[in-house]
Amino acid sequence: MTNFKIDGIDVQAKEDETILNVARRLSMYIPTMCYLEKTTPSASCRLCVVEVKGLDGAILSCQTKPTEGIEVVLNSDNLQNNRENIMRLYDVNHPLECGVCDKSGACDLQNKTLELNVDKQLFSAKDQSRKIEQWGLINYDHNLCIMCEKCTHTCNEIIGDDALDLRFGGYNSSIVPKNADYLDCTFCGECIAVCPVGALISSDFQYTSNAWELQKIPSTCAHCSAGCALEYEVKQTSSIENKADIYRVGNNYEYNTLCGAGRFAYDFDNKNTTKDLDEFSNAIDSFKKADTIEFDSIISNEEAYILQALKEKLGVKLVNKDAYAYQSFLRAYQSASGKLLYSGDLENIKNSDQVIVIGSRIATDNPAVRYHLTMAVKRNKANIIYFHPIEDKLMQNVVSDFIKYEAGSEEGVVALLAKVLIDENIVTNKTVKDFLSNLDEGNLSAQSNVGEEELALLAKKQLRAKVSTLIIGQDILGHRNANNIAKLVALIEKYTIYNVVIVPSKTNTLGVSLICDLDEKAKGYTVGYNIKADYTLSALGDGDLDMPALNQQEGTLTSLDKRVTPLNVAVPFGGFTLNDIANALGLYAKNTINYTVNLGEINGFKAISFDDLENFYSDLGEDIRGYVLNNITLDETSFELEDVEELPSFDGSVVYACEPVLEFNQFTHKSHQLKNQDVLLVGSAQFALASKINDGDKVKFEIDGTEYERIFKLDSELKGTIALNHTFDKENDASLYRFSQVKINKSEV
Amino acid sequence: MAKVYFSTWKGEEVDNRTAEVDEWKESAYNLPEIYSVDQLSKAFIGWDGVAIFSPWVDVVRLATEYAAQYQVYSEACGRCAPGRWGGRILYDLMDKIARGDGDYSDIDHLKEVSKTMMETSKCEIGKTVPKPLLDLLDHFPDEFSRLIDNKEKSKDYDKINIDYIAKVTAPCTDACPAHVDIPAYIEGVRDLRFDDSLKATRQTMPLAHTCGRVCPHPCEDECRRINVDHPISIMELKRLGADYETDHHLNFQHPIKAKPKNGKKVAVVGAGPAGLTGAYYLALEGIEVDVYEELPVLGGEVAVGVPEYRMPIDKYNQDIEAVKDLGVNFITNHKVSADDMRRFEEDYDATLIASGTRLSKKVRAKNEVLTMPGYWGAIEFLDQVNLWEKYGIGEPVDLTDKTVVCVGGGFTSMDVVRCSIRANAKRVVMIYRRDEKTIIRNTTYEEYHEAVEEGVEFMFYSAVEEIIDTDGTLSSLKINKFELIPDPNGGRAQLVKIEDADFNIDTTYLIPAVSQSAEFSHLPKEWDFEMTSWGTLLTNSKDYMTSKKGFFTAGDCEYGPMTIVNAVGQAKRAASVISRYVHNQKITLTNDEIMEDHLRKMRVYDKKEIVTGWLPGLARQESEKLAVEIRRDNNKEVNLGFTQKEAMDEADRCMRCYYIAMIVV
Repeated sequence: MTNFKIDGIDVQAKEDETILNVARRLSMYIPTMCYLEKTTPSASCRLCVVEVKGLDGAILSCQTKPTEGIEVVLNSDNLQNNRENIMRLYDVNHPLECGVCDKSGACDLQNKTLELNVDKQLFSAKDQSRKIEQWGLINYDHNLCIMCEKCTHTCNEIIGDDALDLRFGGYNSSIVPKNADYLDCTFCGECIAVCPVGALISSDFQYTSNAWELQKIPSTCAHCSAGCALEYEVKQTSSIENKADIYRVGNNYEYNTLCGAGRFAYDFDNKNTTKDLDEFSNAIDSFKKADTIEFDSIISNEEAYILQALKEKLGVKLVNKDAYAYQSFLRAYQSASGKLLYSGDLENIKNSDQVIVIGSRIATDNPAVRYHLTMAVKRNKANIIYFHPIEDKLMQNVVSDFIKYEAGSEEGVVALLAKVLIDENIVTNKTVKDFLSNLDEGNLSAQSNVGEEELALLAKKQLRAKVSTLIIGQDILGHRNANNIAKLVALIEKYTIYNVVIVPSKTNTLGVSLICDLDEKAKGYTVGYNIKADYTLSALGDGDLDMPALNQQEGTLTSLDKRVTPLNVAVPFGGFTLNDIANALGLYAKNTINYTVNLGEINGFKAISFDDLENFYSDLGEDIRGYVLNNITLDETSFELEDVEELPSFDGSVVYACEPVLEFNQFTHKSHQLKNQDVLLVGSAQFALASKINDGDKVKFEIDGTEYERIFKLDSELKGTIALNHTFDKENDASLYRFSQVKINKSEV
Repeated sequence: MAKVYFSTWKGEEVDNRTAEVDEWKESAYNLPEIYSVDQLSKAFIGWDGVAIFSPWVDVVRLATEYAAQYQVYSEACGRCAPGRWGGRILYDLMDKIARGDGDYSDIDHLKEVSKTMMETSKCEIGKTVPKPLLDLLDHFPDEFSRLIDNKEKSKDYDKINIDYIAKVTAPCTDACPAHVDIPAYIEGVRDLRFDDSLKATRQTMPLAHTCGRVCPHPCEDECRRINVDHPISIMELKRLGADYETDHHLNFQHPIKAKPKNGKKVAVVGAGPAGLTGAYYLALEGIEVDVYEELPVLGGEVAVGVPEYRMPIDKYNQDIEAVKDLGVNFITNHKVSADDMRRFEEDYDATLIASGTRLSKKVRAKNEVLTMPGYWGAIEFLDQVNLWEKYGIGEPVDLTDKTVVCVGGGFTSMDVVRCSIRANAKRVVMIYRRDEKTIIRNTTYEEYHEAVEEGVEFMFYSAVEEIIDTDGTLSSLKINKFELIPDPNGGRAQLVKIEDADFNIDTTYLIPAVSQSAEFSHLPKEWDFEMTSWGTLLTNSKDYMTSKKGFFTAGDCEYGPMTIVNAVGQAKRAASVISRYVHNQKITLTNDEIMEDHLRKMRVYDKKEIVTGWLPGLARQESEKLAVEIRRDNNKEVNLGFTQKEAMDEADRCMRCYYIAMIVV
């Protein structure tokens, strides 16, 4: 704690707080143009200069930590004069196109020009004309750019793409794609979000609306389990009917970050729906005769609660394959950890100095996890050790050690990790002690192809680590010995400094797995919810009865962060909801969200009603959305460990189910900015050779009864014999092991 | 002292405008009156004023050109609002007046924008460029108003035969023998752009891992932050970029793309820091380089002299790999002979001699027989330790139950005693003629402090008088004690032997580490190289060519035993000269190099300057060191380096003290 004064008031700085941080925390105003909370300061605008009594010159508050006893002065005639002059400089030759600029009305340059009373211009410089860059989803206008560097800092420090660079040139300076002619990035669009002026904009949104015509609806992103906060920016499209469209998505970019799917794939709502009473009664009949209800995890907690209630009411089987796999894994984990939930979260990843990622193509599986890894690397110099059979180029800036293992050997790899990380001297449990001491490391190492020197390096790096996280991906959940792996993961958590994050495979997999009592397999007449079945309810609009998509309904989701966050209605839905069906079947609730409070009956959840859930970040960046699940300690648990099973190796053509950037599922693929994205099988030259196919060939193969038809794309940066198979155009079963041996056939052209 | 027509440099006011030439008052500063052998300077203008050497200088154009240089510099910057636009406005307004389009309001606006730039810019360039311009406006108002009143062009406005030669520098960069762009690499750390940080370092310093660990950092003695509180921990911040490249297995971040091969070939003798540096920059210039190394391993003294616990070989090898990455050819186990050198003259377009100083000097004691068992030269001792510990070559040094006495006081002697501790010696004694303060000044505080922690006994004001042997084997040493007697006349204090204070130390090994000298058996006698009085190759310390045309030299064999960074700086310069020499057989320096030498002569750092705009009292960060009980008996790296947070805090203290200097010729 450092005691000092701001404008005569006694204040205290916490460790690492700058003068600006303290002032902001205490609501004392210092103007800035370039400061972004989530990155290091670019210190370029110089508006935040303050004075310190007894010292000559102006001190930069964004970058300076206070020292004991100083007296800071936030305003003086001289500071005001300098700030006005800086704004005049910013305004020199800034194009006067506010009338059509996307940013107008929400523009920092407009606001500060007004705020600092810049009513006349003393300065001028030779004008320059530069063309607008078109980078796909993003456009860049040099003329509007004020070189605040928020975009470059974000891209490098938060996202990890490091795709934007500064082209230094004094007055001619601009933002350019880094080491490239064209922007080659994951198109998260976060640069658009942080841009304080209209320099970086969404090419799709440009010239479609004024900022002040858009209503902001806070909600939770529906695409993956990260549960990112976003705001749907919505405009009524009819003055007569209740019709609205989402024009774009915004986020609280000072503190949180969205990926491209969240930002660009917003219009997945089920459009043009009406209350079709005949179809509704068909639906009721189907439920009445159903033996099974099958659904996927892109639904709200409340819907999951209703389905569980219907299971009990109707005595049907309740099937959700990916949540079932997750639930089994979690139960096995619980048996060894004694805890309801894993211990880690995103914040924990960000604060780590060593992270192990295993069984995930994490950059596209869960971009938020990737961003937090990037922050850990940049802020803590963290070692990111990435275990996977396939290297991921997107992770290159982040990963310090890529350790390749053979597909299928995950159990052996986790066992080796347990052996390396756990200090056997502190283990008292006999099962664990025996397991570790009987482990045949040589054999496991040979089978998995994970070298002993690689593990030794990991152990060496571990010595200096103070906060560590183990991230378990979806590959592990689908592994045939997932339950044994789950226990090993729990033991690593229990006996080492590691926190664990078990990445839920879909949007609400964690919520569903906690709320529903799931059955393994469907049987008999089946009603599907977002799953094709004998009778299908669908939010995609391709079923028998339309359901609202997650941007059309109120409710909550449970995120990877173990947080229950609210969904709000961004665009209206004209049809029936699951609650309407449940009411017709004898349950009763006026609205779906009447069930939010009932979630409190379930272990971990709290009995808080929907209307009492907050949905925002505080001014200081604290996440106040919804609530965090209680990670309760479970009653006496016991477990056995199986010996690591020797598995047949994967030979021939092997494909791995994963998505390209921006896509997650049929909902993202439905959005108008992404619907033309190619659905591909991407492989190396080695794969092409082994499978006797060429770039551009149409190929066909089958995995677990599902037929895939794909264009083969050769990727020169990919190595090895495993190809990447996109599945976002289909109902992808996340409970399946993601590697499959396939027979590739060329289709007729 | 320089003869000037007019000067405001560092606040002086020398104005000879109304005086006769022979009555001119001189400037108090060592200003660059003479630009180069064949060129006089007309004016010098920089961060702290302006000096004019000739009455014929067009001051308005001088001001305009200096403002223009800021525009040129900002081609490399543009990192803050006041500098980015303010600099452009300064130039536009100056040029407007100079070309005869100016108004008095332009001068008001110029002063207004200057004030904001000087008070709020991000770096010292933005803060200092307006200063000499305002000086000129203040002292030569008539020159400006004449142009404004008459709407006329300044007299030299269209002249093309005047050269305005500018250079960007910084106090730390100036003090660094390798002139590393220190503010840029620190900025890379602050911005978490470690690739940029490393590229900035490698512009003039290829050994980023090495000089991020074992550089004695003369830059930190001339860090402007000293005037506020404590110097920036410059050296350790260098390590961040290098570690990032290594930890993330990135491709080598070279400062520029190597030029295509141009058919020229250079031989380099010695693969130490100087040889590696020379090879690196020659290869970047598209020259084919063969490096000949006597030892079986690459790296010279940093490899076989500096111990593993200070400079882990896997990190040094990364620096060496960066050189190899450019296609440099290394020939090890090859001691270059005089015949080789004669062949080099035929086979190569130039040769760079970087063979170092690898002969241990004697301690000058009685009975000093180099072949006596128990007498062990520091170089030979460290070779054996390091070849074994780092490469598994030879055999380990085991000093169990042995007493080691080292005579020295420099880095090499520190390495000897700390390696002796690690080799399990029973007792390790350092004999040093001077006091504790001097040994710290000659090495570093950390080095001395860590040696003491590890159990080295330091005996100050001591010297070996006689080596005593038993049947020809060294068995003990007779030590004299001295005291420092101040000179009553105020002269230098004298070391005087204390009578009756002699004592003996039972000694197994005496390791002299007083200094090293160069071994030149490879220089053909008939070429008759000119040598310095201390037995190294003589050059003019600017272009590093020896008295034999086409044969250049750099590093310890030129300077005498000195630092790594000195060797790097010399070799970088030599490589630059060679890169032109191989094409035109001329010895030339670039303007940038001439300016570099002028600035170093003037010294950029001013310890008397009062620095404003920065909050004093922000602590210098200290990196974590391995505890003595964990490190004493092994080769683990002692300095764990900054954590990211420490590095960022330290980088935030850097004041980006860039300056522009310009000479008119």
